[in-house]
Amino acid sequence: MKKISKVIVVSIAMLALFASAACKTNRKKVEPITQPRVEETRPPEVEAPPARDTGTPVEPARDFVVEEQNPPEVMPSDIDALNRWAHERGHIRDAFFNLAEAQLDDAAQSALQASATWLRGEGAAYNVLIEGHCDERGTEQYNLALGDRRAYAAKEYLTTLGINAGRIRTVSYGEERPFEEGHDESSWAANRRAHIVLVQAR
Amino acid sequence: MMRHALTLTLLLAATSVFAQTDITTTMSGDQATQVVRIAVPFPELNPPGAAAPQPVDMNEVRTAFFGSLTRDIAYSGFLALAPLPPGVPITGEVLKRINAQLHLQLNVWSEGDDYRIDARLVDPSGATQLRKLYRSPKAALTRTAHMLSNEIVKTLNGRPSVFLTQIAFASNRTGNWEIWLMDWDGANQRRITSHGALSLLPSWSPDNERMVYTSFARGTSDMYIINRRGGGRTRVHSNLALNTSATFSPVGNDIAFVGSVNGNPDIYLIKDDGSNVRRLTTTGSVESTPEWSPNGRQISFTSGRSGSPQIYVMDAEGTNVRRISFEGEWNDDANWSPDGEKIAYTSRVNGRFQIRIANLITNESRIVAGEGSNEQPTWSPDGQWIAFQSNRSGRWQVYRMRVDGTDLLQLTFDGENKGADWSKKPE
Repeated sequence: MKKISKVIVVSIAMLALFASAACKTNRKKVEPITQPRVEETRPPEVEAPPARDTGTPVEPARDFVVEEQNPPEVMPSDIDALNRWAHERGHIRDAFFNLAEAQLDDAAQSALQASATWLRGEGAAYNVLIEGHCDERGTEQYNLALGDRRAYAAKEYLTTLGINAGRIRTVSYGEERPFEEGHDESSWAANRRAHIVLVQAR
Repeated sequence: MMRHALTLTLLLAATSVFAQTDITTTMSGDQATQVVRIAVPFPELNPPGAAAPQPVDMNEVRTAFFGSLTRDIAYSGFLALAPLPPGVPITGEVLKRINAQLHLQLNVWSEGDDYRIDARLVDPSGATQLRKLYRSPKAALTRTAHMLSNEIVKTLNGRPSVFLTQIAFASNRTGNWEIWLMDWDGANQRRITSHGALSLLPSWSPDNERMVYTSFARGTSDMYIINRRGGGRTRVHSNLALNTSATFSPVGNDIAFVGSVNGNPDIYLIKDDGSNVRRLTTTGSVESTPEWSPNGRQISFTSGRSGSPQIYVMDAEGTNVRRISFEGEWNDDANWSPDGEKIAYTSRVNGRFQIRIANLITNESRIVAGEGSNEQPTWSPDGQWIAFQSNRSGRWQVYRMRVDGTDLLQLTFDGENKGADWSKKPE
C-alpha cells in the first residue's frame, strides 16, 4: 500500500515536471526553469526571464544563440542559463515530498544522489541554494516552517553524499511561490519540493 | 436555552433627495431589546444658523463622511438607525413617532480646503448629550466620521468602539507582497513597506505604534520592525533561520517568533532590539505560529509533534504545554480573544479550511463556516469581530465578520490580500 502510493507520488511528480513546460510564464521570475525540453530549436537563453533587480536590459547571451540548434553541450556560464541547463539535462534534480512531510523517500533520495554526483564533478565550482516549497493545502505559517525542514532535509542528505555543507544555503518559501498554479493533485505534488538552485561560489 | 437571532433592516433616510442606505445587521435577542434608536438625518451643509461660506461637495460629504458614520453606527451592536420620514423636518413629535431616543444633528461646511463638522447628540428633551467640533482635511473625512462615531459610542456605552482600529495585512497589488494598513471598514488602504520583495505576516505592537513582520528583502526570511507610518524600519537579527510569525508580547519588549536551527523550527523569544534570544520549545518536530495570550502569560503555537499540525498552549516560559485542538487534521493560526477566554484558529474540515473558535473554559469549539477556504483569524480589540482571509472569490481577500459569523463584509479587492492582524488597542 505504502509502496504503491510512493509509486503514484513519483509518477505524479514526473508528470508534473513534464506538464510544467506549459506553465512557464507563471513561474516566478527569479527562479530558473526546471523542466526538460525535448525538441529545443532555440537555446534556452532566449526565454530567460528578465532579472528582477538589475536595471540593465536583458539581452540573450549571444555566444549560445547563434549556432546552437540543440541545448548546449557546453555548460553555460550565465547562472540563470546554467540552472535551466542543469535541470533540463537532469544534472540537478529537485526532491519531492508527501503532504505535510519532510522525509526523503526513495525517489527524492535518488534525485539528490544524481544532483550530488554532478555537484561533486562538473558542478564542483558552484554552490547551491535549496528552497523549501509547500503546496497550498496547508496553512501559510506552518508551511513556512515545514519548507525550512524540507530544505534542510535535502541539504543534510547532500552532505552525507559528500557535498560540503559550506556550499549549501537553505531558504523556505512555504506556499508563497508555487511552481504550478493549478489546484489539483499534480500541481500540489509539483509544489511540495526542495528546489535546488545553483549559485556562484563566493 | 432560547437565543434566536433577530435581523433588523435599518433604513436610513434623510430627505427624499438622498438615496436610502439599507444596512442589514444582526443582533442577538438580548442585544435587540437593549438597542438605542438614533435618528441621523443627512447633515445641513452650512454652519448652524448661518449661510454656507462656500459651496460644499455634497457627494463627498455623503460618501466619505455620512456613509462611514452611519455604517459605523449600524454596526455598533447596540445602536440602530431610526428610519426617517422623507422630506419632514425633525421635530420632537417626529422623533417620538419613529421611536428615536436620540437625534444626531450634523452641520458640515467647507472652509478653505478643510471641512468643518459640528455634531450634537440630543435627547428628546432637547438636552445635549455630546457635542463635537472638527476641522478635517478632505482626505481625512472618513477618519473624522470614525472619530465621531467612536465618541458617540463612548458617550453611550462607556467603552471605546472598534471604529478607530486598524488592520494590517499583506497585499501583492503593487506586484510584490508588501505590508499594508486599512481602517476597520476597509477604508484608507495604504502601503507601509517598500521592500520590492516578498513581505508577509505583519503583527501589531500593543501600543499600536509598530508592526513586526517577515521580509525576504535580503533573499532569506528576516524579521523587521516598522512604525505604522512606514518609518523607522529596523531588522531584528536573530542568527536563526525563518524569523517568521513574529508577534509582540502584550507586556514588555519580547517578540515571539519561529526560528530554526538545522531544519528544526521552534518557538523562540527575542527582545525587540535583537538581544536575548531564548528557545521555548525543544522537540524535534515542526513548531510554528506563536501567539501571546492577552495578559502575556501564555503562548499558543502550532506543532506537528502528534503527526499533524495541531494547536498547543504553553506558559510564556515554555513550560506546561497542553494541546487544545483535537478535531481536524490540520490546525494553525491560533489567535486569542481579547478577554483571553477563546482562541480562534484555522481548522481543516472536509478538505477546506474554516475558522474554528475554541472556548478555553468549556473546551467546546465551533466552526464559523463560510465558502472557500478561510484562514488566519484575528480578533478586533473589542472582541466583537474577526477579520480573516478567504479565497471564496477565487483570490485571497480579507473579510470581516462578527464572531458569530454574521455581518460579513469583504474589505479588500485589489490584487490578493492575506495575513491580516487587527490592531491591539481601540484608540
